[in-house]
This record gives sequence, structure tokens and C-alpha cells, in this order.
Amino acid sequence: MRLSLHEVEVSYRAPAGASLPALGPITFDIAEEEFVCLVGPSGCGKSTLIRVLAGLLPPTAGTAYCGGDLIDRPLPQIAIMFQDTNLMPWRTVLDNIALPLEIAGAPKSERQRRARDMLAQLNLDGFELAYPAELSGGMAQRVALGRVILQAPRIWLLDEPFGALDALTREKLSLELLRLRGRSRQTIVLVTHDISEAVLLADRVIVLSRRPGKLLADIAIDLPRPRSADMIYQPNFLRLAKQVRACIQDLDD
Amino acid sequence: MALTPVALPRVLCLGISDMAEKNFTQAMQPQKSRIIVHGALLRRLSPVVTIMAMLLVWHGITEWQLVSRILIPPPAEVLDSLVKALADGTLAKHTGTTLGEMIFGLLFGVSIGLAIGYAIAKAPLLEYILSPIIVAFQSTPIVAYAPLLIIIFGTGPSSKIVTTAVIVFFPSLVNTIVGIRGVSPRLRDLMRSLNAGRWQIFRKLELPSALPVILAGLKTSATLAVIGAVVGEFVGSGSGLGVLVITARSQYDTPLVYVTVLTMTAIALSLYGLVALVEWRLLHWQRRTA
Amino acid sequence: MFKLVRIVSLISFLGAWVASAQAPLVQERVLLTFIPNVQFAPFYVGIEDGFFAEAGFDVTLEHLQEPEVLDLVAVGQANFGIVSGEQVILARSRGRDVIYIFEWFQQYPVALVYSDALDLSDLRQLRGLKVGIPGRFGASYSGLTTLLSSAGLSETDIEVNEIGFNAAEVFCLGAVDAAMVYANNEPLQIRSRAQAGDCGPISDVEVITVASQVDLVSNGLIVSRDLLNTAPDNARRMARALQAALRLSINNPAQAYLASLAYVDTLPRDAALITELQAAAARQTEFLALEPGREAVAESRAELLRQLSAQFDPGVLTQFQVLLNTIELWDADQLGRSDLASWEAMRDTLALLGFLGDELGDLSDAFSNDYVMVRNA
Repeated sequence: MRLSLHEVEVSYRAPAGASLPALGPITFDIAEEEFVCLVGPSGCGKSTLIRVLAGLLPPTAGTAYCGGDLIDRPLPQIAIMFQDTNLMPWRTVLDNIALPLEIAGAPKSERQRRARDMLAQLNLDGFELAYPAELSGGMAQRVALGRVILQAPRIWLLDEPFGALDALTREKLSLELLRLRGRSRQTIVLVTHDISEAVLLADRVIVLSRRPGKLLADIAIDLPRPRSADMIYQPNFLRLAKQVRACIQDLDD
Repeated sequence: MALTPVALPRVLCLGISDMAEKNFTQAMQPQKSRIIVHGALLRRLSPVVTIMAMLLVWHGITEWQLVSRILIPPPAEVLDSLVKALADGTLAKHTGTTLGEMIFGLLFGVSIGLAIGYAIAKAPLLEYILSPIIVAFQSTPIVAYAPLLIIIFGTGPSSKIVTTAVIVFFPSLVNTIVGIRGVSPRLRDLMRSLNAGRWQIFRKLELPSALPVILAGLKTSATLAVIGAVVGEFVGSGSGLGVLVITARSQYDTPLVYVTVLTMTAIALSLYGLVALVEWRLLHWQRRTA
Repeated sequence: MFKLVRIVSLISFLGAWVASAQAPLVQERVLLTFIPNVQFAPFYVGIEDGFFAEAGFDVTLEHLQEPEVLDLVAVGQANFGIVSGEQVILARSRGRDVIYIFEWFQQYPVALVYSDALDLSDLRQLRGLKVGIPGRFGASYSGLTTLLSSAGLSETDIEVNEIGFNAAEVFCLGAVDAAMVYANNEPLQIRSRAQAGDCGPISDVEVITVASQVDLVSNGLIVSRDLLNTAPDNARRMARALQAALRLSINNPAQAYLASLAYVDTLPRDAALITELQAAAARQTEFLALEPGREAVAESRAELLRQLSAQFDPGVLTQFQVLLNTIELWDADQLGRSDLASWEAMRDTLALLGFLGDELGDLSDAFSNDYVMVRNA
């Protein structure tokens, strides 16, 4: 399922009644099974773009499609993960991760079995009955990721999912993300402010301009898969990273 | 603008002791566990110590006749009066009446508070429409218009149920509004992106998220319920603890006045305790993560 | 001649000045029940016309519930209070040593009011009816119990409804067949509502006073045993000042009403009425100088009401009429005295109700007539 944005614009209403443009107009496509990273200066509308794709925010102008479906509400084949872990503090880890199944009306035994399997894959065995506040930041984000995976959509929208974590944990989790994606090859749109992360993970890096964010560069990352942490020292990687950085630096001049 | 008068009592509803307790546990955490055990024990014992000390002071005052027996009867006389009132069924009968009025009053007042509170939290326009009425109702002393309620609803239990409902309505309303408005917008986004229905959003997000605040309001309501019922009974009634106080007072039976007042205190504390117990059961996650 | 008058007046003025300088007025609280009302006119007259000052007191009035009045006097927070004799018996039965030294109301003020469509000429016909009372306490309850027992009935023979102090409303809604009320006030209100068609199907009411059946001790002045031991003269002067003020209120209701204006905010302030009452008060003062008998004075009150009724709306006159009705409950040849039989009757009623504690002792200790000014003595 292709994601297509056509002349999408979002503007917020400023307090004085004036209109404050936040995004676009912007047009691009994301192919099925593609892994796209969105980078850009802070406040350029990356999160706004993600919310439009998630169907949480109707665009002021233009259209967004997922395959043949107009995105005018949250679509079942699209899942979103936020920067803050966004777990329910009153639910155990197990119940948090099983939430999408619960909403979908899956029977309890199935929910429990699948949630336990997922926890095992995430190396969170033994934390089933823990509460979110008892987890470290990295563990909590893994639970949130597990929740997205259990939702079993074709498209994952990840809004700076590891932004609040330290560099080492972030790198570990990024690679885990690739592992978990595995052979099912979901389409992923990931927002990040970390250029290395973007280049390491993506098939394409899309650079947005300053507010209101427009398409500034669309760089194909032709590094081989599977990717690994030591790739960041290869000349190809460095060249691509430099290319992305140059685009962003242009903005600062 | 319209929210401020309604939102203000939130701090009161959460309860000074709640806040104090939280600060206390936080302050204790880095310390050695033995000190915590010590502190917890002391804390658990302190109400008992306070009550014992009060009884002693009470006994002393009457023993040495520091204050006339007319004003403060000796504890022993109050105990005698309690035994007598228990034995002849007086206390049980009046307590039963008041408890019944309180429970129905709570049922009505709290559910209406929850319903209107939820509606206001979801539709801010409603707040603009309703808040003048609600704030006016809340700021008018109920003792002033209780006689009117007695005339409208009669001298039976229904008028006391109404006075109780009126008085417990407000904390439940305010805390519902505060609780529902406090639901994380990110979690709302999550529920929307999961295509959750209205009922699912209420049941799985709004209710559990607002529950701590709603229960804090319910604690306040539980203690206010006694006031509502007794105010109603004071104005005109045949039975109930308010009537018993007036009767005992009109017969200069001061020990019985004390017995009745202490019974009201006991009822208020038990109801508070009951809600606290429910809170303890429902919000165990908060203790784990405090 | 003129010189002499001037010297005499100068001396008397100086005398008065010296006397007042020598004995400054003693501050005294007199605790009343209910709320400021024209029925407390003797106290307003006592202040406004100088009876309390003459006795050496600077009196302030306060209104409280009866049990509070009694306990404040019992513990010495106040020296003087006005309560009903029933309260004295109840309180003495539970260890309060207060003494009743002046009976203000000669007649028990409580009455049964009912629709004139009912026939209660024989009180036994109360059986099975719904009777409203404020609650199972106080003068109304004692009065009802006394009425019932005088007819050989008890509470279980009727249906008692506790209606608070809302007799007029509840009665006119038709929720009760009859109600225990204060004889001087509520029947008047209910009757005027009934006659105005504002009382449901009821067009007029009948009244049976408790006093018409049994003599019960009523409201009066109480003091503590301590006061009688330490300052009996204060008690005597207060009782006599009240006696004088009460007599003047009975004899000159127009003056009593005018004195009440300063204390009772709810009295109608009709300018024409006030002018008329001022003239009436002056005429009455002249009339009283002739020392008329009680019957003649009573006739003068009735005459005044007739005159006023011809000139004024009933609404404007209601409170004046309440005062006149109340005066009937006060008036007697000898003011202030209570007799043992009325105390015993009240005690019996309270015993019947099971209200008495076990410390009552000798009933003759509860009151004293030694502080009253005896007529022709």
C-alpha cells in the first residue's frame, strides 16, 4: 500500500485569528515496504506530517492517500508510535501491549498468548505484571513498539520514538526495530533528528525545510541490507550522511 | 474563564493529608528501609495515640471540674448513655434513618455529578451555560434554603435525600471535570488511532485515568453526606441523628448529645474509610509506582 | 415661686446627676428565644422607656434557642434569660440549678388550629387526625400531649407529623388536619390567608388554646442559683423592672408597638400608622393617669383596634394585632407570680412523655415568687 501526499498543507489558527502555516504544500509518495526517514530542523512540521498520515489531523488543503483510501480518519492498516512512551500507567506491561487486541475484540486467552510472545521477542520476559513507571525509558519504548507490532498494521508511523533515550540505547533499539520488522517488511515512516540514525535505517531520507515544512531533498540510501552498527564507519555511509547534513546546514545559512 | 471558580476547589478535594502523605513517602524513600518501617508504624499508631490523649484530656477536664459538667459530661456518663441508647434501640433506629438518607443522597448526588461533570468536560459550551447555576447553587448556604426543600419534598426521607444529594453533588462534579479534562491527549490519539469506539474510550481510557481524582472527590462527598442529611433533619423530621441531637438537647441530655455527635463522626469516618478502601483496591498501581 | 421651682429642679437635676455618677449602669445581657418580634415588646419598652436603666441596668437583648438560653444562664455566661417553665423542669431534672423568678406569660401560648369545617368541640374527635408539630420537643409537643391527655387520648391515637416551623405553609397545603401553633401569631396569619383564599380549600380556622383546658406554667425570667446567692438584689430589680415594663406594654399597646419599631426590622413602617399610634399613645397616657381598672384598659385596647381597623389595611395592622393577642396571654391582676399547680401540671406532662431526667427534686425549688412586686403592698 502506497502512501501518497498531494499538495498537503496544514496551518494552525493563531490566537489573533490569523492563520499560521505549519506544513507544506508538500507532495511525495512512499512505496510499499519502503523505510523512509523524515529529518528537518525542529518545528518544521515533521510531527504534523506524521499526524496527517495517521489520520489524527485533517490537512487544511491537499490530500493524503493510503493505497486507494483517503486518509480522513485513522485507518486500521496504519499504526503510530509517539515520542513519549504513551503507555497507560494503570495497566501492566502485558495489558498495555495487548491493548490493540483488546480494542479489536480479541478473546482474552489469545490476547495473553500473543502479548506474552511479543514480550519474549522484546526480551521483556518477567516484566508482564510490572507497571510502566517501574520500567526504564528503553524498556518502556520497547513495550510501545511491541504494542505497534501487535496492532499488525502494514504501515508504522514512528514519531521520534527513541528521541528521549541516550545514544547507546537509541542505537540498540534502532537495530532491534529492523530485526523486529524482519521479513514482514512493513512500510515505515520514521521521524528523527539524528542523521546517522536516519541513514543507517532508511531506504530514503526526506529532508524538510524550515516551517512551513516543504520537501527540500529526497535522498535514496543505497546501502545494502541487513544493516549493522559498524556500517557507520564505511565511506558510503559517511558520504550519504554528509549529503543529508549539507541539506540541513544549507537551511542554517 | 468560566472554569476557574469550578476548578479552584480541586486542591481541597485531593485532601491535605493525601498531599502530605505523598511528600512524606517521597522524602522517606532514599532513607534506609528500617527507618521507613519505623515511620510507617508510628504513622499507623498516631491516630490511636491522638484518640487516647483526647480521652485523657477529656477525663481530666471533667474530673477536676475545669468546665461545667453541663457543657462537657464525663466520658463515663457518655459511655453509659451510649450503652443505654444501643440497648433500647434508639441509636440504631436514628442511625438507620440517617444512613439510608445519606446512601440514597450519595447515589443520586454523585451520579448526577458524574454525568453532568462528564458532559461539561466533553462540551465546554455546556460549562458556560451551566456554571452560573452550579456556582450559585454551591455558594448559597444549604441551611438557608433547606426549609424550602422540606416544604417542596415533604418531611419524609426524600427531602433529606435531596439536601444530601445537593451537598455531595459539587465535589463529584468538579472532580469529574478535572479528571476527564486531565486525560492525556496523547493517549486519546492512541485510542483514536486504534479505532476505539466511544464506549471503549470511556471504559478503557477516561474512566481509569480520571479515577484517582474522582475517588478523591468521592471521599469529600462521603464526609459531606452526613452534613446534608443532618441539615435536612434539623429543619423538620421525625427520625434521624439530627432529630436525636435536637431531642437530646431539648431534654438537656448532654451525654446523649455527645453520643449522637460522635455517631455522626463515626459514620463520616467509616464512609471515608470505605471509599479509601475502594481506592486502595482500585489504585494499587499508584502505590507500586509512587 | 418660679425661683423655688427653679431651685428644686436644679437640685433634683444635680441629685440625678450625682446618683448616676455614683452608680453607673451595669451591663446585662438578657437572653431571649426566637427572633426579634413584636411579642418581645415589654423588653423593648424596658429599654426605650428607661425601666431597666432606672433599675441600674444597661440591657442588651440576644436571641438564641431555648436550651442555649438556659445553659448559658446555668453556667453563668449570662445572668438573665427568658425560657418556658417546661425548660426549667427539664433542665433541673438533668442537673441545671436555674430558678424561675417571674412569670411573663400568664397563659400557655400554644394552641391547636384547625379548619372550621372540622368539629372538634369535643377533643376526643381528634382521634385518627393528622396533627402537625414542629418536632417532638418544646412547648408545642408538651401542649399537644397535655391537650390529648386532658381528653383521655395519647399520641398513638392520632397521627403526629413533624413539620418544622412551617405550620402555615404545611397546613394550607392540606398535609395536616390540624397544627400546634403559637396562639397569638399563626392563627392570625393562617386565618388571613384562608380568608384571602390562599389556604387551599380552607376558608376559616378555629383555635383551641391549651390554657383553656389546663393551666401550664409558661414563659418567664430565669436566673441561676449562684446569682440568687451572691446578688439577690440584682435579681429583684430586674424582675421588677420587667414587671413595670410589662404592665406598661399591657396598658399602652400603642407605645409598646412604637418602642418595638427600633428592634423589629420586619414591622410595617407605615407613616400614617405611626402618627396615629403616637397620638393614641399620648391619649392612653392621659387615660392611664385616671388609674382605670383592668377591664376598662382592656376595653380601651379593643376600642383602639376598632378605630385603627376602620382606617388601615389588615396587612398593615397584622403585627399590632399580634401584639394585642399576646397581651391577652400576659394580662393578669398580679403579674409575675406562678403557682405550684401549673408547675405540677407541666411536670406531669413531661413525665408522661418520658423526658425527665432523674435529678428533678422538689418542684418548689424550681421557682420563686419572692422577687415579684406584690400588688397593693
